[in-house]
Amino acid sequence: MPKNEFFETMGDKVGHTIEKKLRYYFEVKNEDLHEVINYIFNNMGCRLSTATATEIYRGIEVLYHFSHDKTGTYYCPRIIMKDKEKPQMNSITPIVRGAEWIEREMAEMFGIDFIGHPRKEPLLTRNNPTVEKLPLRLRRVS
Amino acid sequence: MSMVNNVPIGPYHPLLEEAEYFNIVVDGETVVDIDMDIGWMHRGHEFISEQKSFTQSIYLVERICGICSTSHPLACVHAIEDIDNVEIPERAAYIRSLVGELERIHSHLLWFGLAGHFIGYDTVWMWAWKYREPILQMFEIISGNRNHYGMMRVGGVARDIDLARIPEMMETLDMVDEKMNMIAKVANDDPVLKSRLKGVGVLTHKDAVDLCANGPTARASGVNTDVRQDEPNDAYGWLDFNVPVLHNGDVYDKFVVRVLEVIESTKICRQCLEKLKTVKGPILNNVKHISPGEGIGRYEAPRGEVFHFIKSDGTNRPIRHKVRAPSFANIPTYVASCKGIPLADALITLASVDPCYCCTERSLKVVDKNRDPYKIDLLKLSREKTQDIRSEYHV
Amino acid sequence: MGWYNKRLAKSIWVFHISASPCNNCDIEILDLLTPRYDIERFGIKLVGSVRHADVLLVSGIINQKVGPIVKKVYDQAPKPCFVVGVGSCPASGCCFKDSYNKSKNIKDIIPIDLYIPGCPPKPENMIEGVVKLVEVLNA
Repeated sequence: MPKNEFFETMGDKVGHTIEKKLRYYFEVKNEDLHEVINYIFNNMGCRLSTATATEIYRGIEVLYHFSHDKTGTYYCPRIIMKDKEKPQMNSITPIVRGAEWIEREMAEMFGIDFIGHPRKEPLLTRNNPTVEKLPLRLRRVS
Repeated sequence: MSMVNNVPIGPYHPLLEEAEYFNIVVDGETVVDIDMDIGWMHRGHEFISEQKSFTQSIYLVERICGICSTSHPLACVHAIEDIDNVEIPERAAYIRSLVGELERIHSHLLWFGLAGHFIGYDTVWMWAWKYREPILQMFEIISGNRNHYGMMRVGGVARDIDLARIPEMMETLDMVDEKMNMIAKVANDDPVLKSRLKGVGVLTHKDAVDLCANGPTARASGVNTDVRQDEPNDAYGWLDFNVPVLHNGDVYDKFVVRVLEVIESTKICRQCLEKLKTVKGPILNNVKHISPGEGIGRYEAPRGEVFHFIKSDGTNRPIRHKVRAPSFANIPTYVASCKGIPLADALITLASVDPCYCCTERSLKVVDKNRDPYKIDLLKLSREKTQDIRSEYHV
Repeated sequence: MGWYNKRLAKSIWVFHISASPCNNCDIEILDLLTPRYDIERFGIKLVGSVRHADVLLVSGIINQKVGPIVKKVYDQAPKPCFVVGVGSCPASGCCFKDSYNKSKNIKDIIPIDLYIPGCPPKPENMIEGVVKLVEVLNA
């Protein structure tokens, strides 16, 4: 566990951590997500840059990227959803208003259902029924 | 409360913009709410990037936007270099910063032209774009093309600078400085400009923080965030420059922040050119292999913070390449800054954020329940308001 | 319509459609209006409405959302009207040819008569394209 006020406060809510120069990537469970994000955004004053969703072997993972501007460090909580057919996780838009468009785009490209998101509509492919659904998922040969 | 219908806005205005669909709800003449429909430019970069190699990805991301076409490659190479903490040679660092700052100058000059056109000062448009041409010529000297330079590589840059052309580049920078000082004086003295732009479209500090705005949009509202000082990459750690931050958050402050930034950029370019006369060495650190891992790279583009995230698995392709352009975070601030402004000011407020596709005017069919539908030309409204203000000052 | 084309060639009114470009070709087209290249001295100007247009300039890969709108705009343009594809994107798709969002066949949406390749084409290239168009019209 890195020696850092954030990691000491969070204790065991934070799982497997990768520490690099000015970058921290750590795993968080869905139930603890709101508490961790609240601490990062409100107490530490970080700014949300964006969030990345990827389809990995274990499931679908979502990585949020919070920038601590004073030190130039990035804190990236990672949530892994094991169910690839219907991935579901809590939305952080009630805490961070700027996450609304970011989560809409992830829902559209990967099919993730964000519980608590105020406006679940596609962002980039709205009014466009010709484009294929969930374009960034891996294509499986069945 | 009258409702507004939309008519799709194609790029109908000569000031080429991407099609932009705005849903503006008005109450009389005041804007109450705004909603946007985007996706007209969606080309699927993240999907294509997974099938190309790292160097091909750098070529691909240049074409995300034509105006900030160095910011994306710079952020992309920072991300790839972040995976393995690759060091770049000193000469390459100065060349990268020089190209980045020149792009900031040309992009802000472009914006001044558009802002002038939207409020009815067409001469400002022609002059700003005329003074932009020598900068594009400088790019041609450095990289061979006016836009889409193809200069960035993992570990350095692709081309070196010819030392014999440095004096003429210094002269161009002097010219830009002189014209910027003239525009700064105009902005300070002209009462019509002040009453047209001051207090219009205010974005408060709290809203800027909540909506995670960045770039000049946030700096005009008092949020001191700039990638060049927070995480100095390339040569920024060795250069001497200031970051202007203002506090009112209105369109006038956004305008002044950009003028000050251009003056700072010419300072940085001069320092880089002086250093390039003496610093010797290679321009590329040939990296043969990128290990598996994740990397975050960012760069302060003229519009804000460009963010790239690359995940690599040890081969020569990215398995996930996430791109976040600065306008993605700045455009949602319209819902905060457009509330309560008169419809004639809607256009300049939408343009002050400098979206990477400029917003369209000539929008909408405004439908009032009590009257027949009528068309509103936002550009005409904006220019008429300027005329009214000028006649008040008897100009 | 030979006589009509000759009249047209004296002062061409151009309407620009930007169908998912990266905006670079668009900025270069606007550069033609600015004092250095100043295409208005040839009588060529950019108009605001497609109903006044003689020549349409198309730039960008036409993605699936914009496709029907471009077709609608082309149908509204009074014929005869010539279409010029600016940049490498309408010509071959440039680097986006593998994208899922690209229209399958541009020729179904809008038939292009003249291609000006380049990424972006320099303003001098575009002026040469216009000159070729004028020669064809005068022939």
